[in-house]
Amino acid sequence: MLTIKNLHAQVEDTPILNGLNLEIGPGEVHAIMGPNGSGKSTLASVLAGREDYEVTQGSVDFDGTDLLDMDASERARDGLFLAFQYPVEIPGVSNLNFMKAAINGKREHQGLEPISAKDFLALVKEKSALVELAGRLRDRSVNEGFSGGEKKRNEIFQMAMLEPKLAILDETDSGLDIDALRIVSQGVNAMRDAGRSFLVITHYQRLLDHIVPDFVHVLSEGQIVKSGPKELALELEEKGYDWIKEPAV
Amino acid sequence: MSQSSAAQDFVANVQAPQGAVASLAQEGQEGMGALPVPTRKSERWKYSPITAMLARPLRTATAPEGWPGDVEPNPVPGLDAYRIVLVNGHVVPEACDLPVADGVVCMPWCQAVEEGHLADLDWSGYHRREWVGAVHAAHAQDGMFLHVAQGVTLDRPVLVHHHTTGDQVAACPRHRIVVEDQAHAEVVLWHSASNGATGMVNGVLEACVGAGARLGLDKVQHEEGEVFHLAHEHVTQGKDSTFRIHSMTVKGHWVRNELNAVQEGQGAHTIMHGAYLPKDREHVDNHTTMDHTVPNCTSSELYKGILYDRSTGVFNGKVFVRQEAQLTNAYQQNANIVADAGASINAKPELEIYADDVKCSHGCTVGQFDEEALFYLKSRGIGDKAARALMVQAFIGDVLEGMGQEEVAQEVETLLADRHGWS
Repeated sequence: MLTIKNLHAQVEDTPILNGLNLEIGPGEVHAIMGPNGSGKSTLASVLAGREDYEVTQGSVDFDGTDLLDMDASERARDGLFLAFQYPVEIPGVSNLNFMKAAINGKREHQGLEPISAKDFLALVKEKSALVELAGRLRDRSVNEGFSGGEKKRNEIFQMAMLEPKLAILDETDSGLDIDALRIVSQGVNAMRDAGRSFLVITHYQRLLDHIVPDFVHVLSEGQIVKSGPKELALELEEKGYDWIKEPAV
Repeated sequence: MSQSSAAQDFVANVQAPQGAVASLAQEGQEGMGALPVPTRKSERWKYSPITAMLARPLRTATAPEGWPGDVEPNPVPGLDAYRIVLVNGHVVPEACDLPVADGVVCMPWCQAVEEGHLADLDWSGYHRREWVGAVHAAHAQDGMFLHVAQGVTLDRPVLVHHHTTGDQVAACPRHRIVVEDQAHAEVVLWHSASNGATGMVNGVLEACVGAGARLGLDKVQHEEGEVFHLAHEHVTQGKDSTFRIHSMTVKGHWVRNELNAVQEGQGAHTIMHGAYLPKDREHVDNHTTMDHTVPNCTSSELYKGILYDRSTGVFNGKVFVRQEAQLTNAYQQNANIVADAGASINAKPELEIYADDVKCSHGCTVGQFDEEALFYLKSRGIGDKAARALMVQAFIGDVLEGMGQEEVAQEVETLLADRHGWS
């Protein structure tokens, strides 16, 4: 699904990713953990196509296509989704118009007609129930006036609407109380299937109690320095990150 | 040769009006000689020089032979309105649909002058304050006269459609609206121009809004060609009255809107909203004056602009709160997005407050598109152009929403979408 080879990226001449390798197969859930400043969010941004980040070396293959050759909207239409750490408020743009534009963008890419109003509303009803936002999106602007938990639930709602092949969750657990964490995780788990992969970026093990990964990777100074099964997350929680100093050779 | 007489040459071939309005024209001629010609040296005209307009002589716009076949008299689909239409400052009677109702007088302005409906032709005094006002008065043509009697509500809006066509025309339409106490009228002012039209539209609208009365104006400028458009609206308001204007510049080669509202009775409320989205090398200037002269009044001013390509914009919003005008609540907001590096806006709020117990707030912003929001939209598969369109529609949405006629707002949005490739 996703093959990252020797990825180097920088922001304004500051290198952040320094030769990152990662392979995610279909249906797999990978967690990336690591201390602050290790490059977790940069990886998410680079994969999603944020323009402030410059890739200086390496390649990213996404389901047979060169991901780095596409702009953000093309990546999304091809099935990549980023759940933002800080979802953006866009006053004046209604949630539903936003989602309709997104869905129709994808459908156009697939050579399909725009979605009918009836089908769209049915889809909204179904997917918003998944994250307990039913009836709370209409007549509101994108994320405007949403609580932290609502914003994150809205991210998962959007993910459910767009049904990506690969979803990257960037610290989706940050700022969530235990109920919101449960709702968000349920939404994600409901979407797990053999064809859909997840890259879960988190600082804490807590989220991985709810979204159980197949693999856990530790990121440090822009490289993956250790990989292991889900139990690695527990070990990290217990021991901290300091015991992993040297990059794995 | 003095500067002003050289400037006057551009209208030397334009006939002065005859008949009942000759006295106004005479005053205009005198004003043109006495008032200073706007130059970059005067603060009010610094960013909107009229040099290019003065450089090419205008000619008299003769009365048209009917309404042009390729222009819809009512340009707004679905708008159910009375109609008075003008070409180059001349009313075209056969294409009009005037209201006939008790308590409503609606007729061409010249006819109203002849029939003695206007005791004070020069009431707003614009031609005594501004040279371009004097140019207007010296060549004033025709327009709409609307009088709504006390307590009467006009059952439909009146559409005033002015169309400009031809080469180097001088069009000087002039309107008067009187809404008596407790009366209510809604007016749509629509300006169009043919492809290739050049010259000047220099229009004046005077309005009196009586006690407890309401007047709403939806003004739209959508002009092809290369016309210099000078517009002046002067409105006075009585006690507990409401005056609303939405001034939407969809397209115009060079536009200067000058809007004055004077609150003369307590409890009056004024809404001045507008939007401008120039592109190419277009120029749009909005000068507004909100004059609070008495206590307990409110005003809400909101102008939003998006400037593309190498276009230029000006916003100058004066708010006076006179010494008597205690407990005034005045709000002014001007927000601009400079979409391209070659575009620019000169924005200047000017508050002069002489009363000590008032609430006045104002804000002025000039920025670019919010890149973070754009990225968010794009990350969901929305293309760059569609993402920008969503942001623009959101930005001007609160201006469009407040318009009096939903059909007009809809048509403005459609025209903007066509023009900017949003659809």
